[in-house]
Amino acid sequence: MRRIPLADAAASLALLAVLLAVWWAASHGGWISRVFLPTPEATLASLHEGLTTGELAAFSAATIWRMVLGWGLASLAGVALGVAIGLSAAVRAYVQPMLEFVRPLPASALLPLAIAIFGLSPTMVLAVVAFGAMWPVLLGTIHGLVAVAPRLQELARCLDLSRAAYVWKIGLPNALPDILAGMRVALTVALIVSVVGEMIASQSGLGQAILLAARAYRASELFAGIVLLGLIGLASNALLALAERHWLKWQQP
Amino acid sequence: MVERLRAWCVPLFLLGALELYARTVAAGSDAIAPPSAALLAWFGAARDGSLWQATAFTLGSAALGLLIASALGIVGGLLLGLSPRADVSSALSIELLRPIPSVALIPLAMLVFGFGLRMETAVIAFAAFWPMLILARAAVRQLEPRLLEVSCMLGLSAWQRGWKIVLPAIVPRLFVALRLGVAIALVVAVTVEIAANPHGMGYAMMIAQQGLDPALMLAWLGWIGAVGYAINGLALRLQQRVARAMGEAP
Amino acid sequence: MPLLAFDRVAIHLGGREILSPTSFEVARGEFVCIVGPSGCGKTTLLRAASGLVAPQGGTVRRNGEAVTRPSREVAFVFQDYGRALLPWRTVQGNVGLALEAAGVPKAERAPRVGAVLDKVGLSAHAQKFPAQLSGGMQQRAQIARCLAQTPQLLLMDEPFGALDALTRHGLQDEVARLVREQGLTVLFVTHDLEEAIYLGDRVIALQAEPGPGRPSLARMLEVPIPRPRDQLRTKEHPAFLRLRRELFGFIEQGHG
Repeated sequence: MRRIPLADAAASLALLAVLLAVWWAASHGGWISRVFLPTPEATLASLHEGLTTGELAAFSAATIWRMVLGWGLASLAGVALGVAIGLSAAVRAYVQPMLEFVRPLPASALLPLAIAIFGLSPTMVLAVVAFGAMWPVLLGTIHGLVAVAPRLQELARCLDLSRAAYVWKIGLPNALPDILAGMRVALTVALIVSVVGEMIASQSGLGQAILLAARAYRASELFAGIVLLGLIGLASNALLALAERHWLKWQQP
Repeated sequence: MVERLRAWCVPLFLLGALELYARTVAAGSDAIAPPSAALLAWFGAARDGSLWQATAFTLGSAALGLLIASALGIVGGLLLGLSPRADVSSALSIELLRPIPSVALIPLAMLVFGFGLRMETAVIAFAAFWPMLILARAAVRQLEPRLLEVSCMLGLSAWQRGWKIVLPAIVPRLFVALRLGVAIALVVAVTVEIAANPHGMGYAMMIAQQGLDPALMLAWLGWIGAVGYAINGLALRLQQRVARAMGEAP
Repeated sequence: MPLLAFDRVAIHLGGREILSPTSFEVARGEFVCIVGPSGCGKTTLLRAASGLVAPQGGTVRRNGEAVTRPSREVAFVFQDYGRALLPWRTVQGNVGLALEAAGVPKAERAPRVGAVLDKVGLSAHAQKFPAQLSGGMQQRAQIARCLAQTPQLLLMDEPFGALDALTRHGLQDEVARLVREQGLTVLFVTHDLEEAIYLGDRVIALQAEPGPGRPSLARMLEVPIPRPRDQLRTKEHPAFLRLRRELFGFIEQGHG
């Protein structure tokens, strides 16, 4: 059965509308207390007020900045270290098992240690964001470099490519899909650690804002903050997906 | 054998360097403690039961959250995979709800449930639900179409088809999804405890840091890492065992 | 002086003798084909000629000097063309890789790549990615890259084995033409006996499981068929049929 794009779009919008309607009914009808579930209009009003006259815009900017800066540093460091480790089988033999141990560790678990060392400061949060977000990129880079097909390695030998030329022309392009996948995960980690860091280190940002809103039982402000965080997650992922599609267009030309 | 030895070289060296550093340059620091002191602190926590209690809480809430997420996610994924109409209509809503970081829901869960098991389980369930849903859906969609044609030819009823063909075919991929779910559940559990919930391993580590007990803090950090590593390893082994049992290359 | 000389080259891999001490020479401008059943070591021999594999005994010499490692002077056309092209580069980018490796200045690269693509008939597809090309075009792209190396020696490892008959014949004629135009020296490995006789000035037949009294190099025959050759007429030439009969029986039996 051929799918009609317009009908598909209509169906998905319809379901969304239904969900919104349920939200509206639940909050207005008191099925769930308005302490926990604000009405959609109240959320929208809080959002509007917070962004125009309030501080939500500044908070969002702070969180976004932390996330992007930490992610950027993490990506650079991850690729650089990944190249250093990935190129040498000897280095990998010594280092890779340790990396596998660190992989499952939650990045936020380093916050207490970072607080102990750096105190409660924006730099401390940034350091943990960058450190936590580095691992997916690092592991992706290593994986991509190791997975260069043997035939391409032989081709490099036949063309007598220097080590640097091999890394730049064959190794890294081959690793690019894995690196970009790692950078996508790194972005989610960066957002999460930014938010948690703001919550526990009292740093200005959306994380702190929603925590304070919850403590003060201001549900509509809490929901407004959640909506913004969702939008940040959505937008950042979409942008990265776009970049990925552009750089990887050779995969499905 | 040689690989095992090599794997320990660098970590042992780093631990040794940390030991030296903590005992000399950073002696008496509130932030750094020598690994030997951390080990002693670990034994202390094991002896007085706080280690086991906190670990049990974290693992318990992770398991419960994962259970809820898997049940809902797998059922949802099956529905989306088998019904193109459901799949198409839900796409937009999923894309809008999925990017909400689970940590953003911590204050909400706190508001609704207060502190404790339910709050943490709720956040974990939200976080683990989406990957389970998406991977379960993918597992169904990647079903070999030939198998469905065979079931049609054999005249299997919808129930028979689901039970005898669809479910067994997707089981290996579901265990791959479960493996991912385990990793996510553990990470989110510890994160919730660090951010807000005064229970479990993450909280114990926070308390140790706030109490200026670096040895205990490092002990918890190491223990969290070890538990995560072990559980992820078990999940991997289980997934590979299932793959082999279902005739798939692991 | 011969361009390529195998001086009692012996190769062992995984504890087995793949190639018993083998000697032969390839003169400049010659087209030598190597045939044999699977496991006879023909690919290994080719890889030794390129320097990708080091022999355990004897020496491979190019222009009188021992070959120890690969060099840009020797171009290698791999059988799995899909894997030998960089999937993230266009045809132009792939061919350009050879020039980049040789340090050719950027300004010179584009015209030279264009010229080579013209020769293999891929000019219209220069901006396509390998995934967009058919098997035959991918192999031509690889050949183009090898030609861009302006090599002394062209080594081809069953280059047309994975292609359908029609494409294969077309490419055989193309390669024969290019080799003639450029005056290249070629060492061509194939399991297809007719292809070997059709393309070569000389055919070397290897046999598997060498041992005492059973050398790897079992036969070396001249192909006295004049060029240019033709898919239809050449295959009816008496010399072609004679060679085919002689080598066919040999390959079937596996005896010297």
